Amino acid sequence: MPQPILVVDRLHKRFGGLIAVKSLDFALHSGEILGLIGPNGSGKSTVMQMIMGVVKPTSGAILLNGSDIAGKPIFEIARAGIGIVFQHSRPLRLQTVLENILLGLLPDRIDRLRPPPGAIDRARAIAAECGLAAVLDRMPATLPFADLRRMELAKAIARDPQVVLIDEPFAGLTRGEVDDFAALITRFRDQGRAVMLVDHNVKSIASLADRVLALYLGEKIAEGAPGAVMRDETVRRVYLGGGIETHERPEADIAARKVLLDVRGISLFYGKAQALDDVSLTIHEGEFVSVVGLNGAGKTSLFNAISGLVPFRGAIAWNGAVRGRESAAAIARAGIVQCPETRELFGAMSVADNLALAGQRLPDQERAERLAWLFGLFPILKARGEQHARTLSGGEQQMLAIARSLMLKPRLLILDEPTLGLAPVILGQLSEALTRLRETTDITVLLGEQNVTFALPHADRVYVLEHARMVWQGSPARFAEEAGAGYL
Amino acid sequence: MRTISLRRALPLIIVLVFLAVLPLGANGYILGVLTTAFYFAVFAMSWDLLFGYAGEVNFGPTFLIGLGAYGAGMANALLHAPVPLAILIGAIVAVAGGVALAIPALRLSGPYLGLITLVAVLLLQQAIVIFAGVTGGEIGLSVPDVLSIDSGPNYEYALAFMIISGLVLSIIARSSLGMILQAAGQDKIAAAALGFNATRHKIMAFAISALFSGLAGALLVFYLGTASVSAVVDVSIGVRVIIAAVLGGRRTIIGGAIGAIFLIVAGELLRPIGQLSTFVVALIALIVIVILPDGLLGLLPSRRGA
Amino acid sequence: MLALQILIDGFAISTLYALGALGFTLIFGVSGVLNLAHGGLLVVAAMIAWYVGTSLGYGADWGALAGLGAAIGAALLTYGGVVRPIERSRAIPPRERELFVLTATLLWGVMIQEALAYAFTDSPVTVQPLIGGTIGILGVRTPINELLIAIIAWAVMGCLWLLVNRTKIGKRLLAASINPRALTLLGFELGTIYLTVWLIYGVLAGIAGVLLGSFLGTGSDYIPDLTGSAFTIVVLGGLGSVSGTLMAAYVVGYIETLTAYLISPSLRDVPALFLLIIVLYVRPQGLLGRR
Repeated sequence: MPQPILVVDRLHKRFGGLIAVKSLDFALHSGEILGLIGPNGSGKSTVMQMIMGVVKPTSGAILLNGSDIAGKPIFEIARAGIGIVFQHSRPLRLQTVLENILLGLLPDRIDRLRPPPGAIDRARAIAAECGLAAVLDRMPATLPFADLRRMELAKAIARDPQVVLIDEPFAGLTRGEVDDFAALITRFRDQGRAVMLVDHNVKSIASLADRVLALYLGEKIAEGAPGAVMRDETVRRVYLGGGIETHERPEADIAARKVLLDVRGISLFYGKAQALDDVSLTIHEGEFVSVVGLNGAGKTSLFNAISGLVPFRGAIAWNGAVRGRESAAAIARAGIVQCPETRELFGAMSVADNLALAGQRLPDQERAERLAWLFGLFPILKARGEQHARTLSGGEQQMLAIARSLMLKPRLLILDEPTLGLAPVILGQLSEALTRLRETTDITVLLGEQNVTFALPHADRVYVLEHARMVWQGSPARFAEEAGAGYL
Repeated sequence: MRTISLRRALPLIIVLVFLAVLPLGANGYILGVLTTAFYFAVFAMSWDLLFGYAGEVNFGPTFLIGLGAYGAGMANALLHAPVPLAILIGAIVAVAGGVALAIPALRLSGPYLGLITLVAVLLLQQAIVIFAGVTGGEIGLSVPDVLSIDSGPNYEYALAFMIISGLVLSIIARSSLGMILQAAGQDKIAAAALGFNATRHKIMAFAISALFSGLAGALLVFYLGTASVSAVVDVSIGVRVIIAAVLGGRRTIIGGAIGAIFLIVAGELLRPIGQLSTFVVALIALIVIVILPDGLLGLLPSRRGA
Repeated sequence: MLALQILIDGFAISTLYALGALGFTLIFGVSGVLNLAHGGLLVVAAMIAWYVGTSLGYGADWGALAGLGAAIGAALLTYGGVVRPIERSRAIPPRERELFVLTATLLWGVMIQEALAYAFTDSPVTVQPLIGGTIGILGVRTPINELLIAIIAWAVMGCLWLLVNRTKIGKRLLAASINPRALTLLGFELGTIYLTVWLIYGVLAGIAGVLLGSFLGTGSDYIPDLTGSAFTIVVLGGLGSVSGTLMAAYVVGYIETLTAYLISPSLRDVPALFLLIIVLYVRPQGLLGRR
């Protein structure tokens, strides 16, 4: 085995009390594609940012060709031979594609008005390599999303780096484009560069990576060939949870009820990136529906469309009538209440105030009754009444967010990733609360989850969202048999 | 580098030729108005380099202008430096001020930097009043020498200076340096990840902006014959500079000139309605800014095309 | 004696500064808008109070009431005619909204200034105090108006505190300053909340403007300086922090009064500017700022 080009040695990062990356070791070789995966909050982005110098490590070393670059300024690291493709990019607006690529080839000098000789030819060559030959003279604003991403790849390799870091290489791309990009990234490897891909999940980069490293809560939990990592027990538990239980109610019973929400073929774009592609979904009154999908599949976009927070194409019918142009607040008042994955608590207000605010529209007596009921569901919130919301633990914050949503007397409660970043013991408590909610009330719930074990036991019906499209729907029991295997 | 096509530059050249031969037909009053407008145009173009390209919100352009103006004026009045040398001294003082202003800009951003630049103007103003003995205080500082006593040559100097400044600033904006500045202005981390030390480029942007602001301030002093707070330092002058640049169109350089000339000429045309003229000009500017965020230049359909 | 004089004068001016800057910080805290036409609103209130009360001769009470009404109208016009169109514009990139709001409110301030100079007068005038005469406080002859100003200002600030901390509307305003998106999720219309806060801002600016006009006089030329000092105080205290603003108002008020009495009245603005620069270098978020 030749010497690795990049060695990460006992890399450690602490943000205040939180340990984001814990004594991480790994190596990267020239001519190799390494996939760094992990769910949100696993520390993978922090690792990438430390390599690039955007975040300074607390301790540990990052050796590039044997010399330590940890803690150096970004521009020095870039010149030492590391290129990066950020997830979000901002091209120069007034310059053509060619000039944007040329930017990456300019020397860091303040006394130069013209690019060095040969740079334009080199920029053309890089553009051609990245599949941009046809759009060289266009302005970035006129380009499709995939071409903008290609331009970022072109800029990243302009300085001929030995190591290329790519954050979420396939986010927002169509299936055909994904293949093109995979070929391009493979070519980077074949040119002898070391490539590190950072992504939420194994599946999207499995066919591409030579080796995968899985992170969870800042620690390495698995490393090896993509197939082996996908089969790894710890990895499966992190993504899927433990064994799958199901408790669905009889299908016929559900189908007889009135349709409460009917999402008919909606599509959604963020600028040029497509987040939803012709997605449909139906929810009956009193039903518990789970939408499962990996991070970035489009769950949050779907929920935000239902809540009227983002513009979309297509129609959504609520309670039998197609919705018009109601404001997001009016939709919430009509009964569609979302409890977002970001929780959106009022951090500087007390738990009691957070709940009181949500109950402002209720008569005093009803508010008191509802509060008592919520404290029965989540007893810990009563004890924390006067504490500021931001001082609560993650699990308590999640309970407060759910309780606050329930205070609004929702006809449809949308729960987006309630398990995000929570320890397993908290998941149990949360799961119990949902069970009680489902058994003691006739509430309608739409749950979005990446953690299948959490999502399935409560569900009457399951949808699978993958890459902006609904790819499967059926009963939880059938999911366990059919869809579960291909999920990761 | 992309060259500016002749077809697009033609209307501009026609306007400039017209302006150049204007003294043959126009009276001294019109020339006087335009002379001031041309210096304002340079103020606005320098500001646009800093904001539009480097992304720095400078609410105190008159700090740089005032340093150039008073530096030159005092060099001439107190040290008896000949006019060209005095202008050079003014420019050097302004560049030094620009670099000093760049230091907070590296740490602060948004409204905080805006405030620092504003405070810099207020401090300069106070300093001028406190050291009235050498600065002339609130009355202003008379300079013994002027560029010319005739409106014609004064007009031609100002026009030539505006054209040269506009050309140089446009070239810088479209050059390698300009591209790096824009990249760093939009996203400092991304620019650094491409290997650029954004700090050095930002200081350079402040220095260049200060150079032209200072030169214009110095020339204006030798046109007016005095340096006074109300003409070159007051916050309201700075506000007009910013409004001119935004009105003409941000990130265009030449938009600053168009906006400045528009503002001053419109103010003069509306002079018959007396006190209300400033009101109407402000109203027009407000409407343009709200309805056409890309400014007057945004009206030209060809600019953003493929 | 001098010490007591400084103490009393400094208190009056500081209290006015606090009241004047409070609306400015409230609007920033709740809706993120830095209103550079702030001085304009203060002077609108004072000018109308003078015009109705003195020029038309309806007396100080009616004048003050008219001034208050004018400030509320001007505040709503600022929101509806200047700020809201920019916030709703699709042509303005969100990143640059701040600059556009700053530029537009600056222009709006210029328009107010010119309109007042044209409609009324461009020379300074003084608003007739609600109660004339003087009283002695420990031997220092103090205008009753100065005392009244301090009482009214503190009463208004007390009411504001009660409103924010003890009422449903206040909780919504507080919540909007913490997390506007969450308010939408809870079914509250942000538009209504912003309208409410601009209304409150108008009331605060109206009262502050009338009182300022009776203490320091008023004039269309005062507008930029008033905006400037409110901005200074608010940044010094920490953008959006109400208690920070109060603290900074007293710091600035007393520094200015001390400088005016002990060094020279012409230098009264200078030390506060230096203080501001130092604070911005050391603690860019201001004395009590959150960020």
